[in-house]
Amino acid sequence: MKELLAQVNEIFIDVLDNEDIVLSETTSANDVDEWDSLSHIQLIVAIERHFKIRFTSKEIQSWNNIGEMLTSIQDKLNQN
Amino acid sequence: MIFNSIPFVLFFSLFFALYWWVFPKNRKAQNILLLLGSYFFYAWTDWKLLGFIIAVSALNFYLGLKIQQATVDHTKRWLSYIGLTQGIGGLLFCKYYNFFSNSFNELFQALGLQILWPTLSIIAPLGISFFTFRTISYILDVRNGKTKAVDDGVVFFSYVAFFPSLLSGPIDKARTLVPQLEKNRHFEYASAVDGLRQILWGLFKKVVIANNCALITQDVFTHYQELPASSLLIAMLLYPFQIYADFSGYSDMAIGMARLLGFEITKNFDFPYFSQNIAEFWRKWHMSLTSWFTEYVFTPLSIYFRDWDNKGLFLAVLINFTVVGIWHGANWTYILFGFLNGLYFVPLIIKGTMNKKKKWHKNGSLTGLEFFNILKTFGLVTVTFVIFKSESVTQAFDFYRCLIDKSLFKVPVLHGISMLFLLGLLSYIAFFMGMEWQAKNKNHALDFLENKMNVWARKTLYLFLAFVIFYFSSMVTNQDFIYIQF
Repeated sequence: MKELLAQVNEIFIDVLDNEDIVLSETTSANDVDEWDSLSHIQLIVAIERHFKIRFTSKEIQSWNNIGEMLTSIQDKLNQN
Repeated sequence: MIFNSIPFVLFFSLFFALYWWVFPKNRKAQNILLLLGSYFFYAWTDWKLLGFIIAVSALNFYLGLKIQQATVDHTKRWLSYIGLTQGIGGLLFCKYYNFFSNSFNELFQALGLQILWPTLSIIAPLGISFFTFRTISYILDVRNGKTKAVDDGVVFFSYVAFFPSLLSGPIDKARTLVPQLEKNRHFEYASAVDGLRQILWGLFKKVVIANNCALITQDVFTHYQELPASSLLIAMLLYPFQIYADFSGYSDMAIGMARLLGFEITKNFDFPYFSQNIAEFWRKWHMSLTSWFTEYVFTPLSIYFRDWDNKGLFLAVLINFTVVGIWHGANWTYILFGFLNGLYFVPLIIKGTMNKKKKWHKNGSLTGLEFFNILKTFGLVTVTFVIFKSESVTQAFDFYRCLIDKSLFKVPVLHGISMLFLLGLLSYIAFFMGMEWQAKNKNHALDFLENKMNVWARKTLYLFLAFVIFYFSSMVTNQDFIYIQF
């Protein structure tokens, strides 16, 4: 999970254009200024391309924090 | 029963006394009182349709529980479709049926077909667009596991009919309002006083700014063909202040009243006219509606279109804003208003600055570019508000045509309005915007006072506001709030 978190952190820094972002499993959209409904989609596209995975619409809308997002990524990677 | 009327003041005073002094510390009794008060408030304006809101609440209450109990995904889905059909179907039928009938008939006529789609005499229940959006968000949130189904009928029915925001918003989602209905509420002096301040400011906006602007805009938009372009320009520039003061004034009063009853409801405006681009404007204008659309329309669409990159984003934004326009009512003017606002996003999407949030400088200063951007955004919005205000799209374009005329440089003619009145109104608008600028990082325009003004200056300001509110209340006949018609 730690390795995943680091990779996702890099993607956040890149997409949101903010070097200071430090994610943890409990981080939610409320904790990151630039993370809103619009950047959310850009983050998802970047994550899907990076890990070569595809989320369902329901999965994307069900996450409440980074931890839940990481679990989804891990599940997808395990399936591949 | 509008907020700035004598019957409402009497109703609210009695309600407040019963709520805190007769039933203090008794949540259940307070909720029952809240429900009865909300139904009384609704029935005062529209008693014939009280049955409708009760039936809608009952159906969605039942569906919420059934969706939660269902163990199979497709049962949840089908139950939610019943709620959505009732919500969207009810809205479409009550607000849009005749619009579609007339549009079809015009189309048939243009095609030379002898078909006449019948039109019906329908009375749309007041506030339907607002309370329907509450029930729809509830059903979707229960289905998606974002909120638990409410098992207390009084709580749920009160959520749907919560009178401070029943007729004109803010549109609270169940997950923000229901937990507050489920817990004990205590009278908090500081919060209640701040609520009163917000009500005072809301009244100032409505009675002093909006109603006085309306005296000019109403006349000019009705007689625009006979007036010099300079009059049209004045009305066009006043209307954004009128609609903002009218609608945000209502929201301020609703939020203030809710605070007096121990509730924190959703913020609806965040000083939108200081926005530096259109995306920021829509993040700060009618926030409870835009956040609703963002969650339930824009996000699913943009997820669906995400492989198309920017093109997908354009499409999602355009559809989203067109539907935002339609939400306002059955008229092509609202559709065009929404669509144009969606189009305004295109340069931002291309530049990638759609979601860049601007922060104010610590010393409150403004660079020349920032000032220019604020004016530009205001200008863009002003142009679309002409369409919003017009009776038809043809009238809106005719208004623009009349505006571009050499009579723009003539002395403006405003029926029954003296130059002194106009100057007075402009001073009030300058004061209004100045106060809002001071408080741009706060919740409302009077929120900053405690730190910056001594107690006597504050009291003088409150007295001044109260005086002008009373003065103009007696001068201008009560005007309905613009957003109540939606």
